[in-house]
Amino acid sequence: MILKAITIEDTKGLLGMLPTLHAGVPDRIFIATDNARCPKCDVYVKEGDEVKIGQVIGMRHAAFFDQPIHSTVSGKFVGYEKHYHRSGKLVNFMVLENDHKDEWDPSLQPRSDEEIAKLTRKDFSEILMQNASVGLGGSSFPTYVKFNTDAKIDTILINGIECEPYITADHRLMLEHPEEIIAGIMLLQQAFNCKKAKLCVKSKYKDLKEVYTDFLKRYPDSGIELCQVGNFYPQGWEIAMIKSATGISVPSGHLPSEFGIADFNVSTVVGIYQAIKFNRPVIERYISITGDGIKYPSNFVVRVGTPLKEMLERCGGYKNPDVDKVFILGGPMMGAALPSDDCIITKTVTSVIVLNEEKHEENPCIRCGSCMMSCPAKLQPKLIMDAVKAMDKAKIKELQPLRCIECGLCSYVCTSHIRVTDIVRRAKVIAKLP
Amino acid sequence: MQFIKESSPHLHRKDSINRMLGDVLIALSPVIIFTFISYGVLALRNYLMAIVAIVPAEIIYVLIRNKIPYDGTKHSLKEHIKTGWKKYQLSNLLSSLVTAAIFAMVMPVATEPGWLIYIALFFGGLFGIVIGKLVFGGTGSNIFNPAVVGMLFAKLCFGSRYIYPSTWYMETGNAVLAGGTPLTALAENSHAGVNSFIGQFSNLSASPILDLLLGRVPGVMGEAFKIAILIGLVYLIVRRAADWRVVVSYLGFFTVVMAIAGIFVVVKIPSVNYFEFVAFQLLSGGVLFGAVYMLTDPVTMPINEPGRYLYGVIAASITCIIRLFGAFPEGVAFSILLANMLSPLIDYPRWGNQAFTKKKALVIFGVMAATLLIVCLTLVFAPEVAA
Repeated sequence: MILKAITIEDTKGLLGMLPTLHAGVPDRIFIATDNARCPKCDVYVKEGDEVKIGQVIGMRHAAFFDQPIHSTVSGKFVGYEKHYHRSGKLVNFMVLENDHKDEWDPSLQPRSDEEIAKLTRKDFSEILMQNASVGLGGSSFPTYVKFNTDAKIDTILINGIECEPYITADHRLMLEHPEEIIAGIMLLQQAFNCKKAKLCVKSKYKDLKEVYTDFLKRYPDSGIELCQVGNFYPQGWEIAMIKSATGISVPSGHLPSEFGIADFNVSTVVGIYQAIKFNRPVIERYISITGDGIKYPSNFVVRVGTPLKEMLERCGGYKNPDVDKVFILGGPMMGAALPSDDCIITKTVTSVIVLNEEKHEENPCIRCGSCMMSCPAKLQPKLIMDAVKAMDKAKIKELQPLRCIECGLCSYVCTSHIRVTDIVRRAKVIAKLP
Repeated sequence: MQFIKESSPHLHRKDSINRMLGDVLIALSPVIIFTFISYGVLALRNYLMAIVAIVPAEIIYVLIRNKIPYDGTKHSLKEHIKTGWKKYQLSNLLSSLVTAAIFAMVMPVATEPGWLIYIALFFGGLFGIVIGKLVFGGTGSNIFNPAVVGMLFAKLCFGSRYIYPSTWYMETGNAVLAGGTPLTALAENSHAGVNSFIGQFSNLSASPILDLLLGRVPGVMGEAFKIAILIGLVYLIVRRAADWRVVVSYLGFFTVVMAIAGIFVVVKIPSVNYFEFVAFQLLSGGVLFGAVYMLTDPVTMPINEPGRYLYGVIAASITCIIRLFGAFPEGVAFSILLANMLSPLIDYPRWGNQAFTKKKALVIFGVMAATLLIVCLTLVFAPEVAA
């Protein structure tokens, strides 16, 4: 089929209407010592130590930043266990036993409105660094880095698009907690000294439009407006969103702040609000557990560090247990498939998707051109594939595979079911060679 | 239950190469039905001969490609065939059937010694599939459209022996036209070096346009019935099995050139009806058939969008120039082959972006302008346009 992929079939309709359930806190909580961005880690507590919610129990070290590790439960630190991380690697997890008292670390005091009004951009950066605020849309990029710029910001864009199929966590968050999101956006306006803020949502979500047009009437001078953007995939990609919402096209290799734009995910905005207002790190997050391999797909608010197996039991377990499954953390287009369901919900897990496996036979490429038409980064996947097969390094470099955002559309549309994205990933590795 | 480890993305469009090739076969079916109605057993003979030549060649190719690799021990032929046969898929069968059907349609139904048609069909088909497709590496790797290669091979070898008999369906009364498509018949009493058929096209019958549309003219069997071809075109485009860009740019630019050439013809020969001339050019020969079934083969097309427009324009230019001034009466097949040859060049990675830049538009308009210039100058300075 010679056709540009614009939308991806999904099952959001029903799940987006289901209310979010509070999952409660399990008896044992697991906190990752290192993650994809931070390879090294120091731990500040010994086995048997009492910990409180929000207490700093360790420090992750990465190339250019340090990230404190917070406890998300009050209880006792008992040791280490190996589990699967979101990235698909086996990682050391700290095991915390829950005492079900839910006591916060007494040093974390909420800020009064006067204190907040005095904060500058630098203070924001400092607070967010202490609270280990990261991009909760899935990138886990440290948020404070976005505050470290001196550039003049004209527009704040809030990404509530959630363009990946199946996921509804952000959608539910926006429906259920508009006041926290608006308060978070106002803090951002203060930090960047910028009046204009746009909340970007897909135009097909009529319920979000109703909620926010009504809700924003309470803040007539806030400068926040609802911005309805396209329904296509990958509309949630930073650069596609900026293009749709403001008309500015950011060339690859440049930061949006150079064009006067700061952009945040809605979950991140709520995280920022909690960090600034209550001085609390993120201890809970919205996730959707869905897919055609799950009995009762649901949305949950879970404590960070909950083992996934417990959540799967709450969803009624697997449907058709004899069929092989693909177990995905994150969206079905960009998320990683894990070899086991023994994994832990970290801050950046947006969803768990279990799909029944579909076998596709790989056929030779017939040059239909769908991948070239669909590529949002305007790359040429078919030619990259040819160059990788021929191991032609000069040609690969000329085709600039490093601009690829790995959205997965080229594999999705391929008429011959070739895993084009894998081949482009290989091209990226080759292009990085000297 | 196991968890499958695979890289993202985990979703795939419900689509396959078999669906695309099957769609081409379905789009060909109105034409196939017409050929059976018009030619009966002769058409069946053509299809069977083409299948006999083309399908086994593809099977043998798959078996040779997938025989057991050398591992020190000797394997019997049976074992080799067994492992190779596992790699023979539905897509191989469908693609060779598409080639066979198109090839049979562009061949004549009879030759002067009756047995020669079998040889022409068999060796034409074999040459087409082997030299046009398999030597390049099979489906997806060929440079040329195999059906066109086979057709031209047969035509260059046995062309003067072709016969286009009239059947009950044709009411024109022209008993037998030998030697080529209807265009050649008109070219016969021409002056050397002068465009032959422009002024004479209306001698074919009293209402040439209607006859051409309904396929009531002798010729190769698939190209005749234009309504069936148009049904196939609509189906292909609705099912997205063919790229509309190529069809539109080819037919559009062909019409433009012929419309401009028509002005000169009308000025020089006042008896010619302008609209009939343009319609005759569009409906005669293989223009529609070639544009719908042969030019749209995605394997031999350029892969980027602007390149596809350029590809159609180039093919249309060559068709027009061969038709108006060439030594052959019909230019569609040659133009498709020549445009096929250019598609790797159009795909050159440094130019081959999806974006429509000014430079690319300039190239497309340059090709258009050059063609129009050649057509206009030649027609203006030709000593006489037609008899």
